[in-house]
Amino acid sequence: MSEIHLRSLVKKFGNFTALKSMDLRIGDGEFMALLGPSGCGKSTTMNMIAGMEVPTEGNILFGERDMAGVPMGRRGVGFVFQNYAIFTHMTVRQNLAYGPKMHGRPPAEIDKRVGAIAELLQLTPLLDRRAAGLSVNILQRVAIGRSAILEPAIFLLDEPLSNVDAAFRAVMRTELKHLQRQFRQTMVYVTHDQLEAMTMADRIAVMDHGVLQQVGTPIEVYNNPANVFVAKFIGSPGMNLLPGRPAESDRGLVVDLGPLGVTAPLPDRLASTLRGRPGEVLFGFRPEQAMLAAEGRGIAAPVTAVERIGARTIVHLGQGEMAMKVVVENDQHASFGASATVVPNMEAVRVFDRVSGAAIAGSTYG
Amino acid sequence: MAAQTAESHDPQREEAARLGFRLTLPAQILVLFIAVFPLLMQLYISLTDWSPLDGTGWWMAWESWNDFFNYRDLVADNRFWGALWRTFLVMIVCVPVEFLLGLGLATLFADDFPGKRIFYSILLMPMMVVPAVAGYMFFMLFQSGGPVNDVLSTLLGTRVAIAWLSDPTLALVAVMIADIWQWTPLMFLILLAGLVGVPQDQIKAATLLGANPWQRFVTIVLPKMKTIIIIALAIRVIENFKIFDTLYIMTGGGPGVATETISVYIYKLTTQDLIWGYVAAIALAILIVLSIATVFAMKRMAAAREVRV
Amino acid sequence: MQRSIPFEIFRYAAILAALALTLIPILWTASMAFKPIGEWSATGVDLTWWPKEPTLSNFRFIFGQSDSSLIVALDRTAMKPILSSLLSASFGTLIAMSAGTAAAYGLSRFGSGQNLPLALTQLRLFPPMAVMIPVMIMWAFLNLTDTWWGLALVYGIVTLPFAFWLMKTFFDDMPREIEEAGLVEGCSRWRVFTKITLPMMRAPLASAALFVFILNWSDYLIALLLTTREWVTVPVYMASLSSSMTGQLYGAKAALGLIAAVPPVIMGIAIQRHLVRGLTFGALKQ
Repeated sequence: MSEIHLRSLVKKFGNFTALKSMDLRIGDGEFMALLGPSGCGKSTTMNMIAGMEVPTEGNILFGERDMAGVPMGRRGVGFVFQNYAIFTHMTVRQNLAYGPKMHGRPPAEIDKRVGAIAELLQLTPLLDRRAAGLSVNILQRVAIGRSAILEPAIFLLDEPLSNVDAAFRAVMRTELKHLQRQFRQTMVYVTHDQLEAMTMADRIAVMDHGVLQQVGTPIEVYNNPANVFVAKFIGSPGMNLLPGRPAESDRGLVVDLGPLGVTAPLPDRLASTLRGRPGEVLFGFRPEQAMLAAEGRGIAAPVTAVERIGARTIVHLGQGEMAMKVVVENDQHASFGASATVVPNMEAVRVFDRVSGAAIAGSTYG
Repeated sequence: MAAQTAESHDPQREEAARLGFRLTLPAQILVLFIAVFPLLMQLYISLTDWSPLDGTGWWMAWESWNDFFNYRDLVADNRFWGALWRTFLVMIVCVPVEFLLGLGLATLFADDFPGKRIFYSILLMPMMVVPAVAGYMFFMLFQSGGPVNDVLSTLLGTRVAIAWLSDPTLALVAVMIADIWQWTPLMFLILLAGLVGVPQDQIKAATLLGANPWQRFVTIVLPKMKTIIIIALAIRVIENFKIFDTLYIMTGGGPGVATETISVYIYKLTTQDLIWGYVAAIALAILIVLSIATVFAMKRMAAAREVRV
Repeated sequence: MQRSIPFEIFRYAAILAALALTLIPILWTASMAFKPIGEWSATGVDLTWWPKEPTLSNFRFIFGQSDSSLIVALDRTAMKPILSSLLSASFGTLIAMSAGTAAAYGLSRFGSGQNLPLALTQLRLFPPMAVMIPVMIMWAFLNLTDTWWGLALVYGIVTLPFAFWLMKTFFDDMPREIEEAGLVEGCSRWRVFTKITLPMMRAPLASAALFVFILNWSDYLIALLLTTREWVTVPVYMASLSSSMTGQLYGAKAALGLIAAVPPVIMGIAIQRHLVRGLTFGALKQ
């Protein structure tokens, strides 16, 4: 069984708590991304799964089996380091053969396996080259092959693409995903790049400061962020969040954004949860889910910047707490200084409690 | 030093070259002083049968011109070959033992543990002890009424009064023990520095692939330490070849010639027999062999450095 | 990496054994230095590890206050040898450091003296005995025999390789930006060297100087050959102390040995960070 279950996992280094009570279930054959900024605890979590660190509290189970006390060489996991940790004093062949050799497999079998893996990863012409000095693309494949040759049920990758130049990253992503499908392993992938996580993962576990923020499919995490952190972290740029108060109007429940005016009425499912709720809220909508108009009904604000990044244009409006961004088509006019009206798609709007940051439930989307 | 091109006389470049020249000049002079002049002098004397006892100055050495007789005598000199043999014997025993002990200590010190700093400083002390003093220390230890015999007596339960320094074989053993005591810390120091430089993540990767500590040591740690090991061994072999201070004070080369190494032999010829012509021949022979070996070794090291990069 | 309990026990046991073996010779010498004559046992019958009645008589003896229980008197005290060691080692260090630092800077920054690395490495490798005869002849000719300054000159040359290599690696490690800033502001290269580089290098210079000093102070063979009476250094003096009347002057020699050995050990521990660099000519740093 290659299902992974993390139960109330805690890790402290002296006085510093790197991971605060994490619960997570990773299914058999699933590609799970651990996503978050530096220091959020994602690498620590993965190190504990591999056995390189020992949990301070909590359990790690592979299937039914508790991994406490099982040393890191015996867990049957493959691990790809951020800098690949290739044995630079050996050839590619010797790197690939290392695992089986350490397990005492007979030479004939090792040769066969090495040949097969090299074939699969297109490393065959490079087998007898010294590992030192090879390009990063090749090294990544050697790193994967070195672990894959042992046919582990679980594969752990620690930011494997952060050393790869941007041009190749897209190619690598596809390769990795393809490999995972082929080997049908459970893959846990640590990254700080939300685009990587979104494109590759079956599910994403978003983490910040040692706390699991949300677990869900890419679509879920994008459309239904559980809190403000996820809302801002996912998406490029992240969700717009404007402070305001719910207010009754003749058309329904709206959010009073103070100087920015009042929003359009909220959809019923949101309104029913929000009605009567005391306290301030954060009104959220994604830059891709809003339109820009010269005037009309919506949120009016002055344009402060226009970013043209080729495929699309990002318009910045407002300042400080009232800052917003909207993604528009390239041919849309927007000039610096002029006032424009932002019209968010109310069906895709989300509301968060201002104090706790948690999403105020009330809708599922897609 | 500055290549003067037809186009520009870069005043900055010239100033730099001039200053560089002046800065290196004192060192160059000193090297010349100790290298070139003595070499020529030795070459000259080695072809003669001169001795300061002759009463004449060294420049008159031509009066007892000898051709290459000294060198021929050298080849036939049994005492010389004996001394050379003993020097190698000491080397063959001491250096590997120092290496293994030093490596063992280094692996013990590879990670942190309470007291590491203090233990480390203390364990390094022997190599900082003045070698002549170390010689006397062990002279005292190996006295027939001394602590070594005392400990042996306690261990074996019977009175032991071995005359270490009067027995030809045991004297050599005592000398080797002294050398091992004094220079194992050097191996420890260098090998630890090398050990610490082995990339940790490659070791972790190896562990994750199922390697046990011994396998990790042999397949990852040792290969990565290859250059340092060679350096450490080279340094020790060279220094051990020159062994004098400790040994001479412990045994004076005796009993008889039982512990007479090359340096001791040459010293005795110089100060007791005073046949300096012959000594010059020996010295030159050694210098020539060593120079060839050095150039050879440095070429190999340069080649190795290029491959690795 | 976590280490198992049995391993930790083994580690401490092994280290304790190593510590014991390391300290026994040193402690025995210290013990002998403080033992009165009566406790110097020649036969080992009543050997004691620690002095029953610790005394400073050995130390007093070597500094001239003769002990009535010792039949023999010294023809000199230890003062002059100590002075000789100090002077020759210090000035030898001065010579080696001056020439070595200058040359190291010249090579590091200007590429001058390309022959020096090889030449100086070979200098280190040669057995001193192989070059001493010409040196003895030259020194006799120049009236430098049996003088501390003659000795200092040889020391300066013999330890020049160490001074050179140490300082060269230190200079190579030092970024050039600060010096270049000085150049841009119009300082001459010499001023940059003396007013900017050297002050910044105080700590490495001190470490290198201590390293070289230890080497010079520890010499025995060269002093043995080049000094005869007046300016013998401590190791030579210690070795020459003996008496056929009272047997070996164990305590006195042990006391001298301690005096000779303690300063370098303290210095060595102070600069232990740089030992690897100095001993391997920069091939390795700690």
